[in-house]
Amino acid sequence: MTEVTTLPDWTAIAPALALLGTAFVLLLADMIDPDDSNGTALTGISVTGGLVALGFALWYLLAGTGQPGASQEPTEGAIELFGDALVVDGMSLFFSVIITSVVVLVALASHEYLREHPYQAEYYSLVLLASTGMVMVTAANSFVTAFISIELVSLPSYALVASLKTNEGSVEGGLKYFLIGALSSAIFAYGIALVYVATGSLQFGAVEIAIADGVGFDSLLGLGMLMILGGIAFKIAAVPFHFWAPDAYEGAPAPISAFISSASKAAGFVLGFRVFVDVFGTATGVFDWVDAFLILSIVTMTIANFTALKQDNVKRILAYSSVAHAGYILIALAAFTGSVEGEISILGAGMAHLFVYGFMNTGAFLFIALAEYWDVGRTVEDYHGLGNRAPFACAAMTVFLFSLAGLPIGGGFFSKFYLLFATVTGGQELLGAALIINSVVSLFYYTRIVRAIWIEEPGEDLEPGEYPTGLYAAIAVAALATILLIPAFGFVIEYAEIAARMIGG
Amino acid sequence: MLGTHPLASSISIPIVPGIGGAEVTALFPLVTFVLILAFGRYLPFKGAFPGIVATGLGFLVALATVVEIAGGAGPRHETLHTLVAGVSGEGVTLTFGVLIDPLSALMLTIVGLISLLVHLFSLGYMNAEGEIDLPRYYAALSLFTFSMMAFVLSDNLLMSFVFFELVGLCSYLLIGFWYREPGPASAAKKAFLVTRFGDYFFLIGVVAVLGTFGTAQFASYAPGVEASFVEIATDALEHGETGEMRTFLGLGERAWITAIGLLVLGGAVGKSAQFPLHTWLPDAMEGPTPVSALIHAATMVAAGVFLIARMYGFYALSPTALAVIALVGGFTAFFAATMALVKQELKQVLAYSTISQYGYMMLALGGGGYVAAVFHLTTHAIFKALLFLGAGAVIIAMHHEENMWEMGGLKDEMRTTYLTFLAGSLALAGIFPFAGFWSKDEVLFETLVHALGGGAPVLFVAYALGLLAVILTAFYTFRMVLLTFHGDPRTDTAEDPHSITLSMKVPLVVLGVLSVVAGVLNMGVFKGFLPENALFLERWLDGATMGEQFRESSLTAEHYHHVLTHDFGAGYSSGYAGLGEGNLALVGGVVALVLALIPAAVAWRLYGGAEPDPHMMNLGRIRTVLMNNYYQDEYQVWLARGFTLPIATLANKFDQGIIDGLVDGSGGVSLFAGGRFRQIQTGVATTYAALLVLGLLILIAVFAVTGGWI
Repeated sequence: MTEVTTLPDWTAIAPALALLGTAFVLLLADMIDPDDSNGTALTGISVTGGLVALGFALWYLLAGTGQPGASQEPTEGAIELFGDALVVDGMSLFFSVIITSVVVLVALASHEYLREHPYQAEYYSLVLLASTGMVMVTAANSFVTAFISIELVSLPSYALVASLKTNEGSVEGGLKYFLIGALSSAIFAYGIALVYVATGSLQFGAVEIAIADGVGFDSLLGLGMLMILGGIAFKIAAVPFHFWAPDAYEGAPAPISAFISSASKAAGFVLGFRVFVDVFGTATGVFDWVDAFLILSIVTMTIANFTALKQDNVKRILAYSSVAHAGYILIALAAFTGSVEGEISILGAGMAHLFVYGFMNTGAFLFIALAEYWDVGRTVEDYHGLGNRAPFACAAMTVFLFSLAGLPIGGGFFSKFYLLFATVTGGQELLGAALIINSVVSLFYYTRIVRAIWIEEPGEDLEPGEYPTGLYAAIAVAALATILLIPAFGFVIEYAEIAARMIGG
Repeated sequence: MLGTHPLASSISIPIVPGIGGAEVTALFPLVTFVLILAFGRYLPFKGAFPGIVATGLGFLVALATVVEIAGGAGPRHETLHTLVAGVSGEGVTLTFGVLIDPLSALMLTIVGLISLLVHLFSLGYMNAEGEIDLPRYYAALSLFTFSMMAFVLSDNLLMSFVFFELVGLCSYLLIGFWYREPGPASAAKKAFLVTRFGDYFFLIGVVAVLGTFGTAQFASYAPGVEASFVEIATDALEHGETGEMRTFLGLGERAWITAIGLLVLGGAVGKSAQFPLHTWLPDAMEGPTPVSALIHAATMVAAGVFLIARMYGFYALSPTALAVIALVGGFTAFFAATMALVKQELKQVLAYSTISQYGYMMLALGGGGYVAAVFHLTTHAIFKALLFLGAGAVIIAMHHEENMWEMGGLKDEMRTTYLTFLAGSLALAGIFPFAGFWSKDEVLFETLVHALGGGAPVLFVAYALGLLAVILTAFYTFRMVLLTFHGDPRTDTAEDPHSITLSMKVPLVVLGVLSVVAGVLNMGVFKGFLPENALFLERWLDGATMGEQFRESSLTAEHYHHVLTHDFGAGYSSGYAGLGEGNLALVGGVVALVLALIPAAVAWRLYGGAEPDPHMMNLGRIRTVLMNNYYQDEYQVWLARGFTLPIATLANKFDQGIIDGLVDGSGGVSLFAGGRFRQIQTGVATTYAALLVLGLLILIAVFAVTGGWI
């Protein structure tokens, strides 16, 4: 790094600031022109804000901001801000890239979806506020900032899920999400309190040191860790904290389902990685969280996949698929070995899968947004023969679904392969077997949708409606990214492992 | 020290590629294939023109290759592409490469020449007749030429197999060119399926070769190729060095080599239409006639014999395999000739004669006559292409009437066609001094010599069958010529035939001339009276023109003879019945000529008049059997229906009932479990909260106990 001028440290959180600023600009724009007729301008502002944030995150990541310099150890170089309350390092930037990418896609896709929505400015600003929270989660370096950031993600999310105010499903989903969310937040907060009692600190580094020095209250610390685990499991929608997910995803506007299931999950995982690997990494003697994640991982992927088999509603199928993917990514924590090199490849595999998942899962939900836009119905039967009507979007959907299943048509193949490899590295053959069996099961319901789209005859003549530009563009970008992640996967895994090294080393 | 000037390497590229760029012979047609496929409709003559240019250039390069080899160059063996690289000497390395030696150079020239002439002829046969879909025709023709040339150039058995299959595909496409009619579509399917049956054995053979020897290379001239599988097998038997060879099924080295040889032979029997897999070939007459010429003379059918010749050093090790080849060949030669006796359609006679003639080539290979087989392959390519193109001209003249009883008297109206067709017929019948006489005699001579030598008594049987076939061949050939061209016209069409174009006449004349003179290549009948080096083909295949690298390698006719005549190989020896080699050759030639002339005279007697009678009616039941081709199709259909179908049904039941049952069962269990899991999701928020807390409590309980928190 031979930069001529170095930016001040606080600029390291520029992605979050850009998102926050955009949220305020949106509200300002709404005050100036409150009649909601100007959806395009609002979309434009949101997409621009998202792109600026994405640009910052990518720039920092590629320029090496917050990452070890040439002369430094691989674990050094993180930029700590505000009395160590925030940290910007390789991992936070890597996840910021995932989150801001999803934000851009979702904002773009919402343009037509919201065409008759009465509160467009509020919708966009809530999306951007939630994503500000997510980016803050990636950088949280103390339990206080982590909790506040998580709440900053959750509260707008509840409102967003319920944003179709005249739609019963939307309101019901939002309310359930809120209730379960409140319960989970309580558990999370209780866990933080217990850890504070045991270690006397809320700052991650201080907690880590306290644990390394040994604390007198092992059972309190263990219980606290387990409850924090519960709070994170809620965010990533892992069984048994997943109950909100199918209802919320089904009721929410499809772009919001995409947003929550991709970006919000990524935010939950980044906290899980940082808290458990970095902070509680040496505390496995107190609470064997590796085993806990092992159980969660297997139970989550199995229950989600098998439940998805019996669903008829496409959005619910994808909701369970999203839960199942939480199970897959949990492998990164469940195969934790404690050995540095092994851990980096295992964690890296989980992060890389989140990266790919960000595009393929968002894309799949956006296809549903398209279907909802056309009012083709929600069940698999309603999708019959859609391939004739919208061959491009259906081809993209096929890519998303098969990539989610792990077929070599998109980056999902490699990331799943790396996860499988991680189970071998971690010596968790049982986990590997569960991954393989569940992938086979999942192929069944993914193929069911593909079959409905391409092979089945349409029940009645589908009227070719107009083709929403923004939605199509978002689907195209997601599909392109999913496919390009096959050749570019080496690049992703490289940065994922840099990120993993900073917390795992 | 300065390096070589960068231009130095580019200067060394010859302007006309010969042996150094022989693979372009195959690339030209490949390029045209793509070109015609993409822009066929806009190309001159719907793609015929690029096809003619590509095959013409390919033919020139092949000729240049031959000239260079004659001038002492070669052999060339080069690995062009490695598909799978074995890891540090372990595992199998699969490559694509070229092997150019006298055999492949000769075959390349034949394929180039016949393909060029067929393209030219097609201008008249297809374009002038206003056929539709011509780009498809020319694209397939180009692909066909490419596949065959690449097959000929292959330096290993796997690559051979790949292009062998591609050749089969192309013949399927071309036989079924008029796929809108039921006949061609069904014939194409039959050709594909029957040859595929043989190819199964070939495929197993390829795998067996790779598994046994770890390499499928034909030769070992290329850097990095230590030994060909033929050489490893030879070493194993000659010196007992079995180090690199593994056998399976508890067989000894010799038995295993025989087994592999017979497996690969399966592919050759299918492609070269040997008994009992010959049934596809007569049906293949449904394709356009120029295609028949290509298939029968130079490509599809020739591929089988070429394959055996290519790895002849391997077969020479196994007396059993050779005996099987000789017997199959001799029997096919005789058997197919009997069926040709009673056919009424011109192309059908030619079809059975093709089967019969390839039988001769197999007979030669089995009888230890490698040079004879290659010789007959060469002359047959010329005169059979000629006969088919001649038949094509007749068919055009007769407005697509093929029944010879509807013809007659065409010789006056179609002078060129008649004369050239006659030259081809005389060659086919084995009349001195036409090309077929020399090569067929060589085949019989080699078989007889090795039979007399006492190596394998079965060779006598094969020889006798071959000799009988000479009689039959001469008879049906003259019958065909007489019925078609002589006597009075029997129909109005024959009275006033359609004229044929110049583009059809030129190929006929070229091939007609070659049919007369090609025997010069190897006048074996006179070998007792000619100087040693007058047997050009034998010298050619010995690599006499080439450097020591080839002459002392394992791909020469000399080496094959060495293996054949030693006990580690086939153990053949030569016997001359007390006459000496030269005299026996002459006597054999005279006998064969007499045996051909007598039936020719009989045919003249029976069919030579102005109004010939259909004498075959006098044959009674025999005729019925012959007309029905010995019920070969019927018994194969019966086999398929009565034997294969029940087994297939049983296998299907097993698959449906047990395999699918297991799969369906696991799916059913999954769906049932899914249904149960689904019930957890009740939709009631309080249940969710309760379950969530319950889940957390269970986790706490488990870890509290295991973690010792309590």
